[in-house]
Amino acid sequence: MSFETPIPGAPPLERITVMQGQALASRSPSVEYSTVLGSCVATCLFDPEARVGGMNHFLLSEPPANAPGTQVDEHYGVYLMELLVNQMLGQGARKGNLRAHLYGGANVNRNMMRIGSMNAEFAREFLRREGIALMREDLGGTQARRVDFRPASGQVRLRTVEDRFAPPVQPTPRPAVARGDVELF
Amino acid sequence: MSNTTRILTVDDSPSMRALLNHALSGHGFDVAQAEDGLAALDWLAMNEVDVVITDINMPRLDGFGLIERLREGSRHRDRPILVLTTESSDEKKARARAAGATGWIVKPFDPEKLVAAVRRVAH
Repeated sequence: MSFETPIPGAPPLERITVMQGQALASRSPSVEYSTVLGSCVATCLFDPEARVGGMNHFLLSEPPANAPGTQVDEHYGVYLMELLVNQMLGQGARKGNLRAHLYGGANVNRNMMRIGSMNAEFAREFLRREGIALMREDLGGTQARRVDFRPASGQVRLRTVEDRFAPPVQPTPRPAVARGDVELF
Repeated sequence: MSNTTRILTVDDSPSMRALLNHALSGHGFDVAQAEDGLAALDWLAMNEVDVVITDINMPRLDGFGLIERLREGSRHRDRPILVLTTESSDEKKARARAAGATGWIVKPFDPEKLVAAVRRVAH
């Protein structure tokens, strides 16, 4: 069955845009996650046994000056990946079952150096370290992409789009709500 | 007998363990690492430690379970245990506190703030 074919009697599709800095997961057959990526990277995770899927969307900035040896802010990157994994586990997925797709990481903006490539490399390396199988990737190049992902089935539709559809974004600073705050009881 | 503060970090993510090891070892702490609550209990049965830093969401035995098990016995009743988590809900924070956690740190962690917290609770 093609991605476009509506299933007779199926509930209407709820399209949810995954914004930069977000991580969402669902097991609902009526949900479709959608995002447009320029330099940003989206990770799609799917557990084929639990039939749970999730997507995040990020563009990491260069790390603080006191973090030599890394090309992007790994602290924030690991956080955004962990957020996605935890959303998946919260919906019943098992970490050992997770399968990943990576999309995006284009170098669309000449002024942003090769930030897309650096983000793509971070994502690949994260999956390798965590032992999460990378089933498909479409990374790099210079063109923007649109990704539609159905979390309950793991189906992905990928299209290249004109750059003007990819929202102009800056590499993500750490969010104000989560910056390592410490509370002692 | 060394005066170096010994820390056990408990986290199922190899990426997070690498970040923690880099941040803490770089500040002179003696760091051991476990991948979940059960591995932490096994390690603690044979080793001494000054501070435990634990994630919440982990397979086999999660952070809440680990804290509860450590507080059950007398050996770790007063051991400082810091929770380091992506969780932001007040309910989970309250649960960690009720289980006996010493503090709550939100990821992504700031290495300087983490080190300051460890020094404060390690006495």
